[in-house]
Amino acid sequence: MQRLISSILIGLTLLFSTSELAAQESKEPRFRLSGFGTLDVTTAGTKQIGYHNEFSHAPQYGGASIFSGSVGGLQFDADLLPKLSATVQGVVKERTKYDLFNFLDWAFLRYQVTPDTTIRAGRMGIDLFMLSEYRNVGFAYLWARPVIEFYMPISLSHFDGFDIKYSRRIAPGFLEFKAYGGQTGSDITVSRGDLSLRERPFFGANASLETDHWKFRLTYASAEVHAIRNQPYHQLLSALNNVPAALWPQAAEIAGHVSAEGKRSSYYSAGIAYDKNAWLVQSEFAWFSSKWPSVNLTNGYLSVGRRFGPVTWYSIGSYAKSLNSPLNLRADPATPANIAKLQEITQTAFNRTLIDQNTFSLGVRWDLNHQTALKAQWDHTWVRKNGGGFLITREPLTHDTALDTFSVNLNFIFK
Amino acid sequence: MMKYLIAMIVLMLLISVQAQADIVVVVHPSSRLKNLTQQQIIDIYMGRIHAVEDTNRIVPYDQPQDSELRASFYQHLTGRPVAFINAYWARLLFTGRASPPRQVTDNMSIVDIVEKDPNVIGYIDERNLNDRVSVVFKIITHAQQ
Repeated sequence: MQRLISSILIGLTLLFSTSELAAQESKEPRFRLSGFGTLDVTTAGTKQIGYHNEFSHAPQYGGASIFSGSVGGLQFDADLLPKLSATVQGVVKERTKYDLFNFLDWAFLRYQVTPDTTIRAGRMGIDLFMLSEYRNVGFAYLWARPVIEFYMPISLSHFDGFDIKYSRRIAPGFLEFKAYGGQTGSDITVSRGDLSLRERPFFGANASLETDHWKFRLTYASAEVHAIRNQPYHQLLSALNNVPAALWPQAAEIAGHVSAEGKRSSYYSAGIAYDKNAWLVQSEFAWFSSKWPSVNLTNGYLSVGRRFGPVTWYSIGSYAKSLNSPLNLRADPATPANIAKLQEITQTAFNRTLIDQNTFSLGVRWDLNHQTALKAQWDHTWVRKNGGGFLITREPLTHDTALDTFSVNLNFIFK
Repeated sequence: MMKYLIAMIVLMLLISVQAQADIVVVVHPSSRLKNLTQQQIIDIYMGRIHAVEDTNRIVPYDQPQDSELRASFYQHLTGRPVAFINAYWARLLFTGRASPPRQVTDNMSIVDIVEKDPNVIGYIDERNLNDRVSVVFKIITHAQQ
């Protein structure tokens, strides 16, 4: 039923896009309705390995799916006063949990303090990387889907709080600073089942410089896990904390290692983009630092595109790799059977979160008109042993493997 | 037969010259804006600035989405194809940063709107220029630059 509702809403946004909402206006409108959507077909995964390109999506075990990449969104903007405006955006797509918390992507007030300075308060997109605030708007970027290795680890799409932005033209280009703070969270699907995460405080800052053909960007963000809900996770921690020290002296230490509550994660990234003479090059690299092993990794990508009129061909190389080594709890033959089993479960649970994969992609974007683009992309992904943290598997990968993913999608906007 | 051929060639050349007219950026004659740089025009039409120095808020107007004049304006101004501009504005719109310039149906609509509002800026085919508006920047698009 939820998939049916999603399909209807995506269809409605397509219907709106062909209506006269985009009609010419000669007077400044106080209220605006705009929208975007992606109709996607993706083949991915195998019978044994579940694939998803966002942690908030259900896994795909082979075959074709119209749900993994399809999105529909509506945005309402209102100019309340000359310097005060409001924006609300709702996004419909496949999710682990369907509720208003997830559906309402944005709802914020924006106040223009000076011509150079803007403050916003409410629910806003998280601005961590080049695509972060518009990863749902396929028409707004080149690829058929955001680069998995770089964009998938951040399952957060919005935060509740405030931000302040200062921007002005300086000699080499257009400079922008932004700082923000608040709280965030996400509901996702991992190999251990559904996981609900709430993080606060969440804060960060970024700076960017945009010249005629170049864009440079630096980002820092930090978040502390406030609450985590995942049944197998809590069962494991409880079991580890209840092991008598005489039977397994390291159990409590390992429990502290794999637990998430109260642990702070820091995120650093740098990005660069170049666009001149029909060539488009973009690259981003990031480093996550955390005492919670699940988010301790480094990742990056390089994308090169070439325009031929309305058609752009592109290629991407990307990687993601956990900074933690696999856990190896070799059972002592003298260890009681139930403790040996707990050690095996702990090792499996830990090693299944580790990530070590690369993807090579080839794709094409065809701008059909000013509000519609057709895209196709093929990904070949190499996943290393004990590096399948992006995948949904029953057991950690015990050998290297490779996956192919193919997508075709129609992206549209109306305004 | 040869006369018809020559006439056709001349006609085609004329059409070709007509299609490559220059573009002028215009404001109300009473506007405090007298001259703008190419960079200022880029910043206004890319949603980066909403005023120049101490002027009131500037309201940019655009030509129709699929018009050749719009494609030529952005190509000559920014060096980017109109497909890039469309995706760029989708980014700004759906990140809640700015709304794209409002669009009108033709050159004379721009002239009519600019004539009525000192805060409006627009661009038109130079052949539609008259004394109801003032030129603050000119984009030379034809070969004899």
